[in-house]
Amino acid sequence: MAALLIDQEVGVATLDERAARRSLLLQVAGLETTLSRNQSEAFPDQLQLTPLPSGAARLQDLERLELLRDALVGAVVESRAALIEREERRDSAQERLGALLLDPRSNRRVRITQRELGVGGCGVWSAVPRLGPMGRLMGWWRVKLSSGCPLAT
Amino acid sequence: MPREASVQRGWIAPRLAAEFPELQLATLRAQCISVDSELGVSERLALLASRFNGRQAIALREAPIASAYRTFFRQIGIDPEQQRPPAEQAAVERLLSGGNPPQGRVADALLLALLETSVPVYGFDAELVTEPLGIDLSPSGALLLADSERPLWHLFAPDGSDFFAVPKSRQVLLAAVGAPGVPGLALDEALWLAQSALSGS
Repeated sequence: MAALLIDQEVGVATLDERAARRSLLLQVAGLETTLSRNQSEAFPDQLQLTPLPSGAARLQDLERLELLRDALVGAVVESRAALIEREERRDSAQERLGALLLDPRSNRRVRITQRELGVGGCGVWSAVPRLGPMGRLMGWWRVKLSSGCPLAT
Repeated sequence: MPREASVQRGWIAPRLAAEFPELQLATLRAQCISVDSELGVSERLALLASRFNGRQAIALREAPIASAYRTFFRQIGIDPEQQRPPAEQAAVERLLSGGNPPQGRVADALLLALLETSVPVYGFDAELVTEPLGIDLSPSGALLLADSERPLWHLFAPDGSDFFAVPKSRQVLLAAVGAPGVPGLALDEALWLAQSALSGS
């Protein structure tokens, strides 16, 4: 117990700012890597995150490094939540597409975009009647993926 | 007979070197033989542009060298989302412009080195600066690229420097800033690439 008390006193007295700075810089580096990975994973979507502090290139003091680290932690949490939410949206779109493929007639008002499914491109899945008005009257429906992106105007 | 140019290591302010022991600066003199790029350089830039797409631009932030600059930007207080590191900025500009159109011999040489290595190379007019170059700290802690007499440029500032080489510059001092984690070999390669594009050798 005595040794523990001595250690605590020495620890407070010799707290090395350089070690703290080094540790914070490492944490900032690790958090930035994680944030970059999350943003990269979100492609082709772009994660809309709260902007982080930015200025000219300068040596950051301890307080600024701590603020930066905390802001980065917040950004990483925010990016993870955004990725999870996007994954849930994709799962829901997959389920709706499954239902559409199984029963186009009952789901004839459903439209699912490729983007909702997490696939690139501008195609849209929807139910259309076979043979036009005749199919509509007879209840003959099929699923179609519209082709390509609209032409630029 | 003129001495053959060789890569020189720049100095780093002690306080900065203590904080970032792996931070590097390397310089190389180059002769710029004309205002316009040679066909080979323009073709190489066009080739680099043609094999690039949006996914690669986003994935660049995870590539070892490009990510080292991103991390360094963050550590020195620049948000790399608001001011992109040089390689990522070049990638975005390529996507927006649809290619790498020729912009003059100096600019093309620096861009070629950046696209090939992800290491940013800056060209200073060798007649305006005094070697050796280094990375200094202002009293307020700002990072400055300096020569042996004065500060030349606020490091990574997008507004450039009065000492940067212009199309008419004939002697260019190339400077490559190596973020912590970037191998010295990559800096050398970037400098030699830029030098060869400038001198036409």
